[in-house]
Amino acid sequence: MATSARGGGEGEAAAGGGGGGGAAAEMEVEAYRRLFPVAYFERHLRESVRLDARPLASPRDTSVALGLVGSADGSALVKFGDTTMVAAIKLEVMTPPAESSDEGSVAVEFYMPPICSPTVRPGRSAEVAPVISKQLSDVIMSSGMINLKDLCLINGKASWIAYLDIYCLNADGSLFDAALVSTVAAFTHLEIPLVSVSDDGRVVTVPGELEGKTKLPLVNKDKRKLMLNNVPFSLTCGLHKEHILVDPTAEEESIIETFVTVVLDTLGRVVSVYKPGGSVLAYTSILKECITLAKRRAQQLRNILNESVSAMEVDKSS
Amino acid sequence: MQRSSVSSALFEMGNTRVIVAVYGPREVQNKSQQNNNQALVRCEYSMANFSTGDRTRRQKGDRRSTEISLVIRQTMEASILTHLMPRSQIDIFVQVLQADGGTRSACINAATLALADAGIPMRDIVTSCTAGYLCSTPLLDLNYVEDSAGGPDVTVGILSKMDKVTLLQMDAKLPMDIFENVMQLAIEGCKAIANYIREVLLENTKQLESRRGG
Repeated sequence: MATSARGGGEGEAAAGGGGGGGAAAEMEVEAYRRLFPVAYFERHLRESVRLDARPLASPRDTSVALGLVGSADGSALVKFGDTTMVAAIKLEVMTPPAESSDEGSVAVEFYMPPICSPTVRPGRSAEVAPVISKQLSDVIMSSGMINLKDLCLINGKASWIAYLDIYCLNADGSLFDAALVSTVAAFTHLEIPLVSVSDDGRVVTVPGELEGKTKLPLVNKDKRKLMLNNVPFSLTCGLHKEHILVDPTAEEESIIETFVTVVLDTLGRVVSVYKPGGSVLAYTSILKECITLAKRRAQQLRNILNESVSAMEVDKSS
Repeated sequence: MQRSSVSSALFEMGNTRVIVAVYGPREVQNKSQQNNNQALVRCEYSMANFSTGDRTRRQKGDRRSTEISLVIRQTMEASILTHLMPRSQIDIFVQVLQADGGTRSACINAATLALADAGIPMRDIVTSCTAGYLCSTPLLDLNYVEDSAGGPDVTVGILSKMDKVTLLQMDAKLPMDIFENVMQLAIEGCKAIANYIREVLLENTKQLESRRGG
């Protein structure tokens, strides 16, 4: 697949430039790519390949690593090809408000620091960052992945607030998808710290080493891991004329104008569909196709996540 | 680590993990600051909210970040041959992922790697290391616990081959002769890091060469 795509591009350039040497032909291809991106892109689509030689319905190599950040209570690193996300969760004790005295809360923030892309200027954060923050927040709540009552410590007095910070270290397309996987992975890795109530009624965290030695009552000795139900997984597809491209890269995202993001949970139910405008008006058949592709991707992501969890458990026990 | 116009480096010193991305030389974004004789060097330092023991909501422009950004910029400017790239801009973005003392030094070391990876002409490799003095013993490369013990903290940045000091910062009190010892220790640390960086760059170049030529 890789050789045919390269051959296609170079063949064209060679025919145009009279078959120059390897390096010269490569430069012509690069120039064509920059000057006429849409034409270059469509030339690939006609051969049913994409700019990185992937088939249209194929997502990039995905990897998940848990526990990267030692100072956080839960963390994960996710890579979709070159797109890299680091998610970390820190838990803090707070007093719950009166109307939800038996619930904790989750605060999600998505950052795109200038290192992630040359288009992000310092002083002015990327436009998509708060949009993705909000989307993640909504999906976490509406999918019911976390039962906020699980975050309660002492009814009416103390509960956990989970601060989830996601940093995009490299933005190469499909940012929401990667961010959602990193969120799920970080919550899967999360280990809730031990707490006990001190003499003056304050809830204090007990570091692991003092577990057997503290005289104070441990409040949550058996609730160290969060139960995740209905875990959501998403897939973003780009629609260009009549083609559906799965998991677009940043280059593809700059050419394609229409995207559909489908979020499904473990039972295959649709949690959310997001199609923010765009020139391609999609028929229901196209949306159904996107949902089918999303189902396949969700299964794939679930497997990758489970593999990394078992890998982590092996590391722990060894 | 990343593609084309960006060069990046990840540097770890014990538990301190820092990522640096270098963009440029590219067109100056703020034309009024353009310099016709040399390149503009810009640096921005930021810490991830989860990088330290307590999660802190950090403002972008807070005093510590601004001070460290300035220090890193001036240290790297001492080495970059800016007069070779007039009317252009070099951006150095630093993101701290995990902080356990010596973040400033880790940032400078990572910046050197990223600049070398970007092919930006420099006079020499700039490396940095910290040293302190606790319980009558000079200590090299303090971590957070050692740093907060209240003893002095000396940060040194050198141009390794030229044996010149470009950065020197110290807080707390220290008698002159002990200071010389501690500074000497820090310089040795810098030299060791420089050797390591040189090895890494050589290895990297060999890989690039084999990919290109092969």
